[in-house]
Amino acid sequence: MRRVTVVGSGIAGTAAAIVAASRGAEVTLIDGGVGATVLAPGALDDDALWTHARGARALHPLVALVLEKLAAYHVPDAVPVVVATAAGIVRPARGRDRAVLDLSALSETTVLVPRMDQPTWDGAALARTWSDARFARERRLAFVAIPAQLTRLVDERDLPDADLAERHDAPERLAWMGSQIEDAIRRAGGPVGAVLLPSWLGIERERAGALSDRLGIPCGEALSSPGGPSGLRFERARNRSLTAARVQVTRARVTRLAASGGARVELESGATIEGDAVVLATGGLVGGGLEYTPGGAVSAAAVPPGARPTFHVTIDAGLTLSAFGRSMELPGSLFGAPPETHAWPFAADSLLEHAGVAVDEDGKVRGLGRIYAAGELVADRPRTWLDAALSGARAGARAAT
Amino acid sequence: MTAANGASPAPDEGARPLPVDDGATDAAADVVIIGGGVNGTGVARDLALRGLKVILFERNDLAFGASGNSSGMIHGGPRYLLSTPSVTKSSCIDSGYIQQIAPNLLFRIPFLVPLPGGPRGKITLELYDAFFRAYDDYQPLKRGKLHTRLDPSELSRLEPGITGAVSGGVTFDEWGVDGGRLCVLNAVDARERGATIHVHSTVERIARAPGGHPDRPEYVVVAHDVLTQKRTRVRASVVVNATGAWAPITAALGGLSTKRVRVRPAKGIHVVFDRRLSNYGVMTDAIDGRQIFIEPWQNMSVIGTTDDDYYGDLDDVSATSDEVRYLVQGIAQVFPAVRQARAIGTYAGVRPTLYEYGKNEDGLSREHAVVDHARDGAPRVYSMIGGKLASYRIFAEEMSDRVARDLSSASECTTHKKPLPGGDRVPDALAIAREHTITPVAARRLVYRHGSRALRILARMQRKPRERALVCDCEPVSEAEVRHSVLEEMARTVDDVSRRTRLGLGACGGMRCAARCGQIVAEELRLAPREGLSQARRFLERQAKMRVVAMGPDQARQEALALAHLRSSLGTKEDA
Repeated sequence: MRRVTVVGSGIAGTAAAIVAASRGAEVTLIDGGVGATVLAPGALDDDALWTHARGARALHPLVALVLEKLAAYHVPDAVPVVVATAAGIVRPARGRDRAVLDLSALSETTVLVPRMDQPTWDGAALARTWSDARFARERRLAFVAIPAQLTRLVDERDLPDADLAERHDAPERLAWMGSQIEDAIRRAGGPVGAVLLPSWLGIERERAGALSDRLGIPCGEALSSPGGPSGLRFERARNRSLTAARVQVTRARVTRLAASGGARVELESGATIEGDAVVLATGGLVGGGLEYTPGGAVSAAAVPPGARPTFHVTIDAGLTLSAFGRSMELPGSLFGAPPETHAWPFAADSLLEHAGVAVDEDGKVRGLGRIYAAGELVADRPRTWLDAALSGARAGARAAT
Repeated sequence: MTAANGASPAPDEGARPLPVDDGATDAAADVVIIGGGVNGTGVARDLALRGLKVILFERNDLAFGASGNSSGMIHGGPRYLLSTPSVTKSSCIDSGYIQQIAPNLLFRIPFLVPLPGGPRGKITLELYDAFFRAYDDYQPLKRGKLHTRLDPSELSRLEPGITGAVSGGVTFDEWGVDGGRLCVLNAVDARERGATIHVHSTVERIARAPGGHPDRPEYVVVAHDVLTQKRTRVRASVVVNATGAWAPITAALGGLSTKRVRVRPAKGIHVVFDRRLSNYGVMTDAIDGRQIFIEPWQNMSVIGTTDDDYYGDLDDVSATSDEVRYLVQGIAQVFPAVRQARAIGTYAGVRPTLYEYGKNEDGLSREHAVVDHARDGAPRVYSMIGGKLASYRIFAEEMSDRVARDLSSASECTTHKKPLPGGDRVPDALAIAREHTITPVAARRLVYRHGSRALRILARMQRKPRERALVCDCEPVSEAEVRHSVLEEMARTVDDVSRRTRLGLGACGGMRCAARCGQIVAEELRLAPREGLSQARRFLERQAKMRVVAMGPDQARQEALALAHLRSSLGTKEDA
């Protein structure tokens, strides 16, 4: 039996572990804490700039397998889902967290938005803004704000969404919310096609399904901000699926990959984990797998020893970085490459989003033994949820065989 | 320049009167002021207080240019003590007045000047000691403390972050101010006293009205609102061009001689850090010997500034990483911690320095001048050239005196006596925090920006409790304050709200607040909601561009998160 060590517990690492385990490997996953997946708001994108019009593409079978095991997401076969965001737009996505409301099937109807005294949820302003979105105008969807106080306790006025979501794990609390919404629907006076709520619908498992069943119309969340409940739901779904797949999870930080022998990782504690293959899925800048380090020099008289490229991998693994298909060279400046030339943040093709580890089609790191890389750590791949899942799944499949 | 006796100079030979515009006008005023910086709003307030009818046009937003992008000091200008002591003196006198009319807006910034060790350093210390002894003469004018001389141990006790061989140092006293708010408060006061202020309205033409006396013609000024494209045509007896670095462009609209209003635009940038890094301001030399500084400013630290000839677009000025590195390098010589600190942004402005050829930027005069365009055949048209934030009020008074004489108005300047809006008294922030159950930090920030008018914002919160919600957590800025800035302070975009409240300028880069602010602006101004979101996108894009040039490891992670969030929640393209 092959021993596979997966470093990183975001969607790429999780996909690698699930797929490797499904191929019969003995998998250890090292979880270093919160990264981009846990901060992601619940839309599954395969295109970083989702504003491009596009149809749904078939899911890769390995990604379909991962999604099935996680059992927390919905990715339709034929058409993209359509979600409303807390910033006020309505946009397509390839898939969604099951708690998030899908508007794609709605037309010529009213979407009820609760209006309440809650600092983070201005129902009236949101309803007006969503109604003005192109999708809403084309489908003749009216978002209508109806008074409905969905917080119950005094402290809830200032609670973060994730904490309110957790309170709705309790069935009686969800039932209370359901009755409040039923009252609001009655007050709305006309037919209501769906209910769009703050991201409060459960942490342990999503509660949108239960609420929709009770009310007989689709109910779900708007897409939340980073740090909202979607990331926490991902963590619970991940933990359940890893347990089911008999993956051993270790809470630790990896500092080093052994250069010889190929697949030994060293932890911050000094312990080592031996294996036959390693999948590195430590994330990009957000996750901490990559670090941006502009030049260390402050004056020409103080050039730091060991000058290095503008980005580097935080784990000591002898990995060189590349971008745009070429390895990254030392910048031609003592002070580092000027950031405006490579990190212009709105450009789709900035170095900030291309820098990473060069890998082959299956995620194998070029020039190293049984080392694979996946997710945002990889060079020149779209920084999207579904692409991270795909690259992780492929790396896991290869590492297991 | 202004004739001493106040009479208009005769036109130059060859000067031609302005073309005549005989179209109908929408409004009439005594004076049209072009430019909403500190000079323009200062004159608008001064003349409105004298009872004259004023219309002001600003092409971008109030304080969009140099006024809102300065070092944030009403400083006495010790830098000019050797070259032009008159600038130092007038700055100090006016600093005293500004403290009286806007006590909430000023905060003391004591500065330290550490000096290198060794024999040379000791001589320099003696020179600085003598220099600031001379500056002490002016300190009482602005309620500043006299300078002191520090030995190395005193220096390191006061500011442990200062390192390197030091022979000691000197201290001197300055006052900080939010230049953006200073302009806004002048404009608000002018408006409340009858002036009409058009922001985001660019002047396209200055012409002569038909008829009228050759020495006292009337003028027609045509402007259009760049947000609505609506055109406004107004008639006035006097025109004041207070457009700073834009002054020659404005003069050209009336066919006036641009030669007489030449400025030498000089760009200055600042780098902003996420917290107060030092206890005091620290002044030192950059690699080329220019003076630069780090100062605790409001709730952050700022380093500045550069001074370089500028040939670019005045409507789109931004810092480069070269400039950022120049400043960080210089500050790190005496305050090395700045290299580990987290830069969260930059800002840049262009000074309208008086024109001279063949001098270094540093050697240019900071004096101001009123240009009389009678010599161009346009009597009672003036351009205000040069000036500084610190002496804006006195410059406005000089200009207004001239205008009042032209219009035979006997009323005198009162801008140094009458408080700016909210400046009549400074409420106790801690009492407000207790009474209104808002955090002490939020209360302090609110009182700083609004003085006694903070009570109006608190009254909004009492009427509508949900307006207590914080839109921007970094600063912090409540929903009530955002609405107040739109309804009472002429904000028309997310960017404008930010200039008035500092919303979105914290470490998160507006990630959470910009879209919400756009919703509110759209609601209050009855714009299409999607226009509010477009404003938020433009604001975020602009801020990202300003931040990226100073980006370090920590901020890079934040940028990656903010970008992912922006793409997910708001999108980078319009949803028309």
